[in-house]
Amino acid sequence: MEVSPEKAHTAVPVKKKKSFWKTALDQKLLYLMSIPFVIWVFVFNYLPVWGWTMAFQNFRPGRAFTEQEWVGLTHFINLFQDDYFYLVLRNTVAMSVMLLVAGFTIPIIFAVLLNEVRHSLFKRSVQTISYLPHFVSWVVVAGIVTKMLSTDGGIVNDILMALNIVDSPVQFMSKEKWFWWIVTFSDVWKEMGWNSIIFLAAMAGIDPQLYEAAKVDGAGRWRRIWHITLPGIRPTMMVILILSIGGMISIGFERQLLLGNSLVKEYSDVLELYALNYGIGLGRYSYGTAIGIFNSIVSIVLLLLANGIFKRFTKTSVM
Amino acid sequence: MKHWFGKLLGIFLVLSLMVALAACGGDEDSSKQEEKDSDSMASDDDSLEPITFTMFSADTNPSWDGMNSAVGQAIQEATGVTLEADFAIGDPKERIALMAAGGEYPDFILPKGDGDLLVDAGAMLDLTDLIEEHAPNIKAMYGDYLKRMRWSEDDHSIYFLATAGVDEEYWSPGTGFWLQHAVVEELGYPEINTVEDFENAIRTYYEKHPEIDGQPTIPLTLNADDWRMLISVTNPAVFATGGSDDGEWVVDFETQEATLHYRRPEEREYFRWLNHLNAEGLLDPEAFVQQYDQYVAKISSGRVLGLIDADWHIADAQTALREDGKYERMYGVYPATLTKDYKFATFQSSGYLAGWGIGISVNNPDPVRAIKFLDWMASDEAQILHNWGVEGEHYTIEDGKRVISPEEMEKRLSDTEYNKRTGIEVFRAYGPNWGDGVLDPSGQTYTINTPDQIKENYTEKEKEVLANYGVEMWKDLYPSADEFPVKPWGAAWQINWESDSDIALKFQRAQDTMYRRIPEAILAKPEDFDKVYDTFMDDLDKIGVEKMEADFNELLQAKIRLWND
Repeated sequence: MEVSPEKAHTAVPVKKKKSFWKTALDQKLLYLMSIPFVIWVFVFNYLPVWGWTMAFQNFRPGRAFTEQEWVGLTHFINLFQDDYFYLVLRNTVAMSVMLLVAGFTIPIIFAVLLNEVRHSLFKRSVQTISYLPHFVSWVVVAGIVTKMLSTDGGIVNDILMALNIVDSPVQFMSKEKWFWWIVTFSDVWKEMGWNSIIFLAAMAGIDPQLYEAAKVDGAGRWRRIWHITLPGIRPTMMVILILSIGGMISIGFERQLLLGNSLVKEYSDVLELYALNYGIGLGRYSYGTAIGIFNSIVSIVLLLLANGIFKRFTKTSVM
Repeated sequence: MKHWFGKLLGIFLVLSLMVALAACGGDEDSSKQEEKDSDSMASDDDSLEPITFTMFSADTNPSWDGMNSAVGQAIQEATGVTLEADFAIGDPKERIALMAAGGEYPDFILPKGDGDLLVDAGAMLDLTDLIEEHAPNIKAMYGDYLKRMRWSEDDHSIYFLATAGVDEEYWSPGTGFWLQHAVVEELGYPEINTVEDFENAIRTYYEKHPEIDGQPTIPLTLNADDWRMLISVTNPAVFATGGSDDGEWVVDFETQEATLHYRRPEEREYFRWLNHLNAEGLLDPEAFVQQYDQYVAKISSGRVLGLIDADWHIADAQTALREDGKYERMYGVYPATLTKDYKFATFQSSGYLAGWGIGISVNNPDPVRAIKFLDWMASDEAQILHNWGVEGEHYTIEDGKRVISPEEMEKRLSDTEYNKRTGIEVFRAYGPNWGDGVLDPSGQTYTINTPDQIKENYTEKEKEVLANYGVEMWKDLYPSADEFPVKPWGAAWQINWESDSDIALKFQRAQDTMYRRIPEAILAKPEDFDKVYDTFMDDLDKIGVEKMEADFNELLQAKIRLWND
């Protein structure tokens, strides 16, 4: 009773170790081939983390590392004491939740609907047309959106006026509360087609026999979508969802910078814009780095949380 | 296919061989030349042996084509110097910070407002002694202004030689209240002295003509896309209340104390006036929402009656109107002030603005040669070369005067590639230079800009409007420079603070607040205006704006002492 567990305890690692080296030797070519990529990842993804030391210094360019002044957590304390930081954090989280919800569900619905279209030429043209906006830069998209929502001959106001829905043109771009919606809608317009490609690809991989069997059993279209198509793409959906939750806080700033104006500033400033204006823009490199670290840590925590939850309930994981 | 490819490869091989041979031959020649030079001119200071200097400029120069142009060749011949330029793409501050971090500096640097990063990093050479020993032309050109180039009260070194035109005269107002010629013509050329006159002009015309070319007339629009708001919305508040351009500051002449300009009570009245225009429906509802291209498109359509902006913001739109032949829809510029008690001070002199310029870095292999090059750039020969071109090619001398033939002038004005091809006006910015209106020993101006040239550029309509106002140029409507004292601090926007100082942070916050509150105040209901403006003032107080102003005033006083001792 007492001996055997101990024996097992010592025996297992030895055996394991041996087998590891043995497999390593067997697969030496594979290891060799992976080395360049490991170096690549190390150099470009891990070495830059050294730069995080800047967040704990009063970094000044032109001085050696040893000459920098170390200030501990000052920059983090300043960051968390700044009211403006919480404002931009609110906007960032609000917009990223909206973008996540809309940017996740709408492409799936679109892909499902497109998948049901039997006319192949029509299907392919719709797919192509819908993902083209993805290649248009935000500068152009922002121009199109502001022009469409303009009170001075903007097409949206023209239509609303023609249908007698409103009496005078609506100032879409100057309403603070609407800004988040405008960002979400323009993002959906731009990315819907592109994001649906991956789901369409997943649907193409579903065994047609399943559909045929369902048909024989008398399942209608909705039944087939509900019981075959959606479960068929569930693993893809989960992976995409987990990854986008991880990236929630880093939503970029182009959309907000280009669509925003001074009237909606309180709703359009986001974290990365704040890092740009109050960090790099002022030459406060350390402060900018502190914001970057905050960003990364929140992202990692979100990713692990999402992954943990999904692993538990759906047995899907990205790690 | 294969055959064709082989042929091409052959041609390439032959070509590269030829180039290589030519290059070797050239090397031999030049090394011989160098030997000869160093033999014969060993003791001569003015050696012309070829040398290449690298240069970084924070301003891009779309006309830059190395030394390939005629002027570039002439510079090489006269000095032996080849400039290899590198320009900032995007934010120059990032490039400069990167340079400072890596310690790799080009030989010449023009950092504009970010020189402090370089000086802090010990990147710049003190030019004081070099100028004293080797640069008679520079001393002659700057004279007393050299004092203004000293870095600070604690550090009297000269790191940068100013590249603003010395003793420049100004013939265009640059900013003001713009009205379509059609408006003043229809109203019988009313005096436009106050914002009220301006308002009445656009109101009367708007009531008579609610549509122009079938589209609704816009009485007044503003340009508020990001930082452009400073130019078109907040700066005019200073001008309309008698201040001149000091950026976000206004400096009291008596006490020499600076405040953030929108904290002055009189500017509240200016914004109240804009608020009133908005309430009356005279302000374009999209003024604070539109992007710059929408703004330009609106003006170009010819249906905006009035503008409040700087000339360089509306130049494209004016050109478009001119090309469309809508001469009556182009704009004249008027010095409107809040009340008759103020004088529009855009011509008030800042003295010589010696803040931004060209410096020699510690990495420069031959500082003496470098300063001599800059000294040559300041010489009459170089100044005429930069502005007029090469004699016989771009201008001729008749009766001792330089003359540019009408054909050449036409090319110069209409060909956008002219500067790139010839090198004229390309190198001027990289050394000390004379401003417009300064006369050379022969009595001609160094630059080719003259008031006559500006007048020639007016349209017939413009001349007609000016004649009806009894003046020859737009600047004649404005109070002239001698009605104002020279500002002893230069321009307050040129005063830098340390990038990680308290003042930098507070200034950024004040800016952010201003960008939000001013539009809010202008678009508020008239009865709410004071409430919004009070909130704005409270917000500024919370940021600690008083402390920031006190800090800034110290810098300002230091500058006044430095420049005027």
